[in-house]
Amino acid sequence: MLIPSALITGFGLGSMYGLLALGFYVTYSVSNTVNFAQGSTMMLGAVLCFTFWVTLGWPVWLAVLLALLACALWGVVVERVAVRPFVVRGSNAWLMATVALGIVVENVVLFTFGKDPRGMPPSFLTSEAFFVAGIKVQALQLMIPIVGLSIAVGLHLFSRRTKYGKALLAVVQNPDAAQLMGINIVAAVLLAFAMSGLFAGIAGILIAPLFTISSTMGTLFGIKAFAVAILGGIGNAWGVMAAGLIYGLAEALITALLGSTYTQILTFALVILALAIRPNGLFGQASVQKV
Amino acid sequence: MSLRALLLSAAVTALLVVAIFNANGYELYVLSLVGLTAIVGIGLNVLLGLTGQISLGQVGFYAIGAYTVGILTTNHGVSFWPALLLAAVVAAIAGVALSIPALRVRGPYLAMVTIAFAFVIEQSAAEWRGLTGGWNGLMGIPTPGLAEFSFAEREIALLVLFLTAAMTYLYARLSRSPWGKAMRAIRDSEVAGQSIGLNPMLVRTMAFALSALTAGVAGGVFASMSGFISPESFPFFESILFLLVVMIGGAERVLGPLVGAVIVVLLPEFLSALAEYRLLLVGALLLVVLRLAPGGIVGLLARPFEKPAAGTSPQSKRDIVEFLSSRRGGQTLSASRLRIAFGGVRAVDDVSFDARPGEVTSVIGPNGAGKTTVLNLIGGFYDPEQGSIRLGDRDVARLASHKVARAGIARTYQTTQLFEHMSVLDNVMIGLRQGRLGAGSLVRPDERPADLDLAESLLAFVGYDGALDQSAGALAHVDKRLVEIARALATHPSALLLDEPAAGLNAADTARLGELVRQMAELGLVVILVEHDMRLVMSVSDRVVVLDAGRKIADGTAAEVRADPVVVNAYLGEEQSSAKPRPAGSTATGGEVLSVSDLRAAYGAAPVLTDIDLHVDNGELVAVLGANGAGKSTLMRALSGLHRPVQGRVCLLGREIQNYAAHRIADAGVVLVPEGRQVFPELSVVDNIRLGAFCRSAPDLGNEVEAMLERFPRLRERRRQRAGLLSGGEQQMLALARGLIARPKLLMLDEPSLGLAPHLIQELYATLAELRDEGMTILLVDQMAGLALGVADRAFVLESGAIVHGGPAAEIRDQQGLEKAYLGELHGTAP
Amino acid sequence: MKRVLVMPRSLRLTRRPAMLLGMTLGVVLAGFTAAAHAADTVKIGHVAALSGPSAQSGEAITRGLSVAIDEINAAGGILGGRQIELVQRDDESKPPKGLIAARELIFKEKVAAFLGGIDSPVSLAIVPLANQNKVPFMGVWAAATPITRNSADPNYVFRVSAVDALVDVKLLKYANGKFGARKAGLMLINNPWGESNEKGLVAADKENGNIEIVGIEKFENNDVDMVPQLTRLKQAGADVIVLVVNAPPGAQMMKSRERMGWNVPVVSHWGISGGRFPELAGPTAGDAHFVQTYSFFGKQGPAGERLLAALKKKYPAIKGPEDVFSPVGTANAYDAMHLLAKAIDAAGSTDGDAIRKSLENMQGSYQGLIKTYSKPFSKGNHDALGPDDYIMVRYVGNTITPVE
Repeated sequence: MLIPSALITGFGLGSMYGLLALGFYVTYSVSNTVNFAQGSTMMLGAVLCFTFWVTLGWPVWLAVLLALLACALWGVVVERVAVRPFVVRGSNAWLMATVALGIVVENVVLFTFGKDPRGMPPSFLTSEAFFVAGIKVQALQLMIPIVGLSIAVGLHLFSRRTKYGKALLAVVQNPDAAQLMGINIVAAVLLAFAMSGLFAGIAGILIAPLFTISSTMGTLFGIKAFAVAILGGIGNAWGVMAAGLIYGLAEALITALLGSTYTQILTFALVILALAIRPNGLFGQASVQKV
Repeated sequence: MSLRALLLSAAVTALLVVAIFNANGYELYVLSLVGLTAIVGIGLNVLLGLTGQISLGQVGFYAIGAYTVGILTTNHGVSFWPALLLAAVVAAIAGVALSIPALRVRGPYLAMVTIAFAFVIEQSAAEWRGLTGGWNGLMGIPTPGLAEFSFAEREIALLVLFLTAAMTYLYARLSRSPWGKAMRAIRDSEVAGQSIGLNPMLVRTMAFALSALTAGVAGGVFASMSGFISPESFPFFESILFLLVVMIGGAERVLGPLVGAVIVVLLPEFLSALAEYRLLLVGALLLVVLRLAPGGIVGLLARPFEKPAAGTSPQSKRDIVEFLSSRRGGQTLSASRLRIAFGGVRAVDDVSFDARPGEVTSVIGPNGAGKTTVLNLIGGFYDPEQGSIRLGDRDVARLASHKVARAGIARTYQTTQLFEHMSVLDNVMIGLRQGRLGAGSLVRPDERPADLDLAESLLAFVGYDGALDQSAGALAHVDKRLVEIARALATHPSALLLDEPAAGLNAADTARLGELVRQMAELGLVVILVEHDMRLVMSVSDRVVVLDAGRKIADGTAAEVRADPVVVNAYLGEEQSSAKPRPAGSTATGGEVLSVSDLRAAYGAAPVLTDIDLHVDNGELVAVLGANGAGKSTLMRALSGLHRPVQGRVCLLGREIQNYAAHRIADAGVVLVPEGRQVFPELSVVDNIRLGAFCRSAPDLGNEVEAMLERFPRLRERRRQRAGLLSGGEQQMLALARGLIARPKLLMLDEPSLGLAPHLIQELYATLAELRDEGMTILLVDQMAGLALGVADRAFVLESGAIVHGGPAAEIRDQQGLEKAYLGELHGTAP
Repeated sequence: MKRVLVMPRSLRLTRRPAMLLGMTLGVVLAGFTAAAHAADTVKIGHVAALSGPSAQSGEAITRGLSVAIDEINAAGGILGGRQIELVQRDDESKPPKGLIAARELIFKEKVAAFLGGIDSPVSLAIVPLANQNKVPFMGVWAAATPITRNSADPNYVFRVSAVDALVDVKLLKYANGKFGARKAGLMLINNPWGESNEKGLVAADKENGNIEIVGIEKFENNDVDMVPQLTRLKQAGADVIVLVVNAPPGAQMMKSRERMGWNVPVVSHWGISGGRFPELAGPTAGDAHFVQTYSFFGKQGPAGERLLAALKKKYPAIKGPEDVFSPVGTANAYDAMHLLAKAIDAAGSTDGDAIRKSLENMQGSYQGLIKTYSKPFSKGNHDALGPDDYIMVRYVGNTITPVE
């Protein structure tokens, strides 16, 4: 009972980390940059959805849609304000700039949304439940991995089956040649950041009913998701998703078997160990050096 | 330190001392906190500023220092001073330990390792209760004292002031010491650092250890100052603040962390009345500073005061001939049966040759022949799968490249690898150390007069006549080449490897370079020259080794090789081509598609194209010829928009496009099939072709792709395969198909025959002739001049970035000058 | 990786900025020392979480303090007509920030006394500073035992709030008495407050023969899913859960318990009353029985009526008792402020030592909100509230309802 319930927990959290980490993956593979404050975008998704749905009383579908749209737009804003100006200059201060923007948005939310953590009203997602092997599983717990994996699959199909998806892949594989095909790299990077924001928004909205909604809800998630992205080898969508599951399962299993005292120490120590052994992540590939 | 700097520092220190004696307990605490934060920043500056490595784990070292002092003084009765010393040692050891995984990774991976480290330390402090007091932390940590006298806030502030000043001074010393220079060198170019004997692992580990040590000291004082520490005193966010301190202040600047600490610590205090809004303001301010002051505040403030390099040009003060010939002379460098493969392709296959001291041994061959790979094998950058490399009696194959360098093999690079943010003089000075930095010289500036004289003399010897204090990144192209050679010579080598030193040089500079190369050989050095400029090769070489497709095809004196038909064929390609010239009478239909006037382009300060004028008419096939390094590819990149900015005018059908970005030029109808094919390796053949039509709406794309597969039947067989798995010839066909499906108004091809087997080249050119006859407008660049002229209507010859000939293809072919442009004149002296 | 992180860097070291740095510092210090000191008011400090996840607790305390100060000032102030001025500083729930804020209040603002916030770690960090500098520090929420029992002599730290050690005794006794539980599983937040209660509960367990602790589990503030910890307790045979945590993670615990379908009783410390617990925890919020010092629901005494009316007037968002979030913060702060003001008035000066002595020897009785205080503090006891002042409550809807 200990192990199966830990597996369910780990699977749910893991796909959440994976989903958030996919956001790091899309921007990194297209532009070699990330929104380091990805956690704050996730928070934005949850906060906006709550505001539209609960505070303003709009229909839930509209609330979700608008929140996701806003997150995608926010991704674009992050790129324009905190990433591009630095990349153009050849500086990597974008790392700190995205952190700064994250601090700003978290505090703006603190004053507009309120200091008070809020909770999503109960819905069928949390009230409906069924039993798998004697363990109670809520509908939402099932939905999170399903959505997470669907997005990974969707991302895969988008990039393999659609013109724009393939164009994005082309930018990843050879930016110069992609420009020669008439692909606008600047637009591709913006698109990647929009997608990154979208994924974070989805993660935020999905986690909201399980969690509490506040301006700081995303911080630790963001850091763990970054660990997951790095562990997965950041340039590999399946690797990132798999690393998310591994990380989530490791957390839950360590808690279940050794007790919660050691969870954070061990998971982060494992990250260091994994990178020491495989410097390009568990699923990453080394690039050939040239002079 | 100059007198003025000394006076200023003394004045600031005095001001602070006065301030300390007038401040209240709160102000003293905040001031001390500024100092401690600055100390951590100074340490981080060693890592970030000098070695260019990021760490988000500094708070971990800070915590280690704090807990060491806290535990020892509170629970074990150790007095503060030995405890502080131990804190520094423990933190430094932790730094070295962390550097083991940290040095294996780069960029965001490194950031993650350090983040994880910070979390592990914080959590361990919380859980290791017996030692650390768990979440409750350690309380009642005694303040420092001297004998019976126990320090209060004021004395602690003075202590912190002293430590901050000392650390700042030591950083200034370090940054001018051999170690500091080695750190910058590794940061600017790890590869070049290794080739002058620096061990990057050692240098980076030192930087990690130093940054950890300083953080440990600051942490130790912090514990004693605040009297209370708990895991919550060391949250991860603090690491971000430390990074901010350095970035806001100005990375690498001596005063950067001080200014950064003042801002990062004091600002929130000034805003404390705003309580809840201050984080918002801090975030916004951060963003503004990062945007407006990329070099940090110190960089911004210092800019108006910065003098342009104005030093004198080097004088010969030491006898270089004596210096260079004093090395254990007379060692032959012999490569024997070298072999290496990349992804199944044998880049170098069974190559053997000897290079003797006092001789210039040139390695030549068409593009992709494996010349640079041979240099990389000798230099230790690659390990050969088979074969040996001996310098005298010593086998140097499979040694790490910094050990190869220390064994006496120095080198330069195809694209110069100078330490761009260091001065010219420092570039050479660090070379003089031959990788041996010495633990004792950590904070001793690297300014021995004898070394300075020697470095200056070396620069004079190679013919550099610019300023000594000029930053290397700002040098003209030719000067970069010369300084790189001087740096290589500074390591006192037995053998010198030169990788295309003449690339991008004009004729006069090339001639001077030739003289320098001869001179170096005559001093008894082994000189191995890889070069495309045949005029140079033929004029300086005692011996020429010719490679083609990884194998040695000829070996002999310059005259022997020049006369070898195999060599001539390898360079110019088969004259008789199955591709037909344009049928007589059917000329191009006229009307200018592309017209280029006064086009200029440069890489940094180095001009690559000068005043290019050319035009391509509708339906014409125009070839651009020239030796490697003449600027052909740059021309293609400039026309296609990949190289920006350019000066002059480029018109497509009357529309000026010289300022367009590459994707807009493609959209406008100029399509480049780039050098090296550049297919999208992970996409299928069909997807690659379809992407070619990205810009236009193609409702019937399926059929158009079919039509392309008709034209290139080889691709049909592999339509579902990933393009990366195709052979070179197939990739070239694919790149062509990808270009054609865009229905270009002008199709440009850059070196399409490069690296292809002869029968594939024939097939390719037959296709080009076909396209021409179908009325496609084509601009073609190919090293295989014979082939290109076979299908072209008109041709231009490019030399050193300028057009030297132009006219109908047949006329150009009959000129004797062409072969000369490619293979050079035998022992001819350049103008 | 294609790109290596390389920092922008400058080329030349220059010493000119030293001058500018010096000038800046000069200006800064001038600003410091010029801080004016208004002599006609009595400054009372307050260090609490005004931002971050616990920000609401700070707000609740502020409300209690403000109403009390308004009342005192309206009645003519203290020390012969001097008004009380509240100076607040944010500690962001971080001890180092709290330490700096406390130093600022003591040295720069020169407050007569100051009050704390919800976070025990912050208060614990401030205690030595207050004692060193002889400035009375009054806890109004943080319950960690060693805050007041800190072995300093003389001790300048007082508290009008619950004390973990006493609460822990009460929790175990209640679990056994109310639910007949004999095996307690502890769910504790992984921070100093959790640790303080771990000690307290283990000690209480030794005293109480009817119930034993069968498992101790910890969790983090940001943990989403605590099913693994709860499963471990369930396997250990726990028949009651003793919860020590603030509202948001407490709600996570309740949701995890609901998710695994385990209907075990929950007895909790009061942290969960610090936010919108019913909304956060969902339908099972009412299953948790927890400690309070005061409830605004039900029949109010005169002080309760007065305070509620004042709150409604001052904060229009408050329509009734259900809108008084984090009620213990407001209630404790209200009483603490009045007690403090009386002590300062009685001391006849703003000298720290005088105020301490005056607090330790308060004469007569004061009819406060939570109870009627008579000699609330003594040299040996710096806690105004004891086990008899705690009540057990639970949420019914959004209403906190006594269950004893």
